[in-house]
Amino acid sequence: MENLEYERLAWAVLFGHIVIIVVGGFMTVLSQSLVRALVGLIMTLFGVAGLFFLMAAPFIALMQILIYVGAVSVLIFFAIMLTSAWPGGDESGKCSGRKYIYAGVAGLVPAVILATAAIRSAPPSFLVPEETEISVLGKFFLEDFILPFELISLLLTVAMAGAVVLAFEMRRKK
Amino acid sequence: MSVMTIYHLVAIFLLCLGIFGIAYRRTLVGIVLGIELILNGAGLSIMASAQLTPAPNELGQVGALLVMGIAAAEATLLLAILLVVSRRFKNVEAGKLITMRG
Repeated sequence: MENLEYERLAWAVLFGHIVIIVVGGFMTVLSQSLVRALVGLIMTLFGVAGLFFLMAAPFIALMQILIYVGAVSVLIFFAIMLTSAWPGGDESGKCSGRKYIYAGVAGLVPAVILATAAIRSAPPSFLVPEETEISVLGKFFLEDFILPFELISLLLTVAMAGAVVLAFEMRRKK
Repeated sequence: MSVMTIYHLVAIFLLCLGIFGIAYRRTLVGIVLGIELILNGAGLSIMASAQLTPAPNELGQVGALLVMGIAAAEATLLLAILLVVSRRFKNVEAGKLITMRG
């Protein structure tokens, strides 16, 4: 009896987060003000973090909130502020209907193909995922996955150095 | 329909919206938002595939973390590129950037 109630609660949480993701996603691509679009993106990111919690991966969910919501969206907000893409500026004004249809087709065609593949060839899955301890995850990172781990740190360093070099060049030319 | 399929459908929905945003948005910042949606969908899909099947759980969590790291690096570089572009061309509309000469 209690189990059944928990299961119902889990389904409610799942579909609640899916609704958050869908609303945020449509806000992201359709909103005319870029700041509103960014708010929609943050909503989607929170929804995905909730799905990570639901999949029994609280560490990744917290990382999602920390990295995406904390860092990446602030960076994008800087990009909105520092470029001339101010709210009500470039994205406002009507788009031609033909572009709307083309963009819709471009998004829908791969989605339909992938969705048929995902529905047709879905292996049987668990209803209740099991949690992984963070220590196991760290060991996996530092023993089996050491090369990708080092590569991602190299990638981050190179990206940061490249960003600094680009920004300094801009200042020198000015 | 299994639970994993629902997660995968949400990820595919994010991919669809991201491609739509990349094609539909006029400014480069809007395109960046679409790219972030796609990357997030990829992370969700990897995670669901590992957590809800007999595949090792750590694999999916590490994959999702790597996707997040790549997204952070990409956002940093895109911010710098957007700054340079907006300083050089005075706007960031994708349709108006038609020359690549410095």
